[in-house]
Amino acid sequence: MNARDDRRDDAPPEWTAQARELLDASADALDGATASRLNRARQRALAARARPARRWWLPAGAATMASVLLALVVVNPLTRPAPEPAIAVPALAAGGADDAELIVADDNLELAQDLEFYAWLDAEDEHNG
Amino acid sequence: MPVETQELADGRAALDRFLRGVERRALRMAELTTGQRDEALDLVQDAMLAFVRNYADKPAAEWPPLFHRVLDSRMTDWHRRQQVRGRWIGAWFGRRDDDDAGDPLAEAPDLREPGPLARLVDADAGAALNGALAALPLRQRQAFLLRVWEGLDVAQTANAMRCGEGSVKTHLWRALNALRSALEEHQ
Repeated sequence: MNARDDRRDDAPPEWTAQARELLDASADALDGATASRLNRARQRALAARARPARRWWLPAGAATMASVLLALVVVNPLTRPAPEPAIAVPALAAGGADDAELIVADDNLELAQDLEFYAWLDAEDEHNG
Repeated sequence: MPVETQELADGRAALDRFLRGVERRALRMAELTTGQRDEALDLVQDAMLAFVRNYADKPAAEWPPLFHRVLDSRMTDWHRRQQVRGRWIGAWFGRRDDDDAGDPLAEAPDLREPGPLARLVDADAGAALNGALAALPLRQRQAFLLRVWEGLDVAQTANAMRCGEGSVKTHLWRALNALRSALEEHQ
């Protein structure tokens, strides 16, 4: 296997073990002040988990929802009173209602025809009499 | 103690152990990228916060690649900002950061030799390695550090670097050759 074939070899070469040791040593050699700052950074990150991000949108969302509900109540056509008619219709008195009923009833058409018949009979009687 | 509270405490303790175990290496990685300790500390703190918020509930076995994915993202963003700034001010310190430049495979040495660090005493070797790593392009350095130092496998490294496994192998191969060349020059 030549060097070019090594490109597909997943394992890093042996000399990198020494590189790893040197890098470990450099990380272990961090000064106390830096280690302290790392510790504070870690504690802040952990505190962020214990205290979930503030849900600042909750109050705003509640206010928006309340506004929408209010608007629906105010302008909802189901809750609005029926509109006044453009032309006022006079209220029918009880008697008037009866007259109207008499006018539109089928029986009264026959009565009207009978009245004409009786009027013709009267005229014939006078003519003959 | 209620069961829920106990579970929360256990989870926090496990997270604490994990972060405590990885934080120093994370700082050194970030420092190799930024070249400045304060900037590196900011990146690590930011990565810790994002990791805890987004991945704390994942199984602990998945934490290493996820944490390094977050940290790698922060370092890449930092690197891009620096590149943009560098373009504007016209100063890029002569660092070559083009992973596609040249073909190191053409003159690749045999990786089964004792290695370029073998003939250096520890103090010199540490400084030489640090300088050689800092001079690597970001992606090559990350592939090397995650594979060699963190011990992630190729798939985990690819996950952390948000790239394919083939890219990881290529970056690692180029990093190994560049490091070998740089360290041999140092001797």
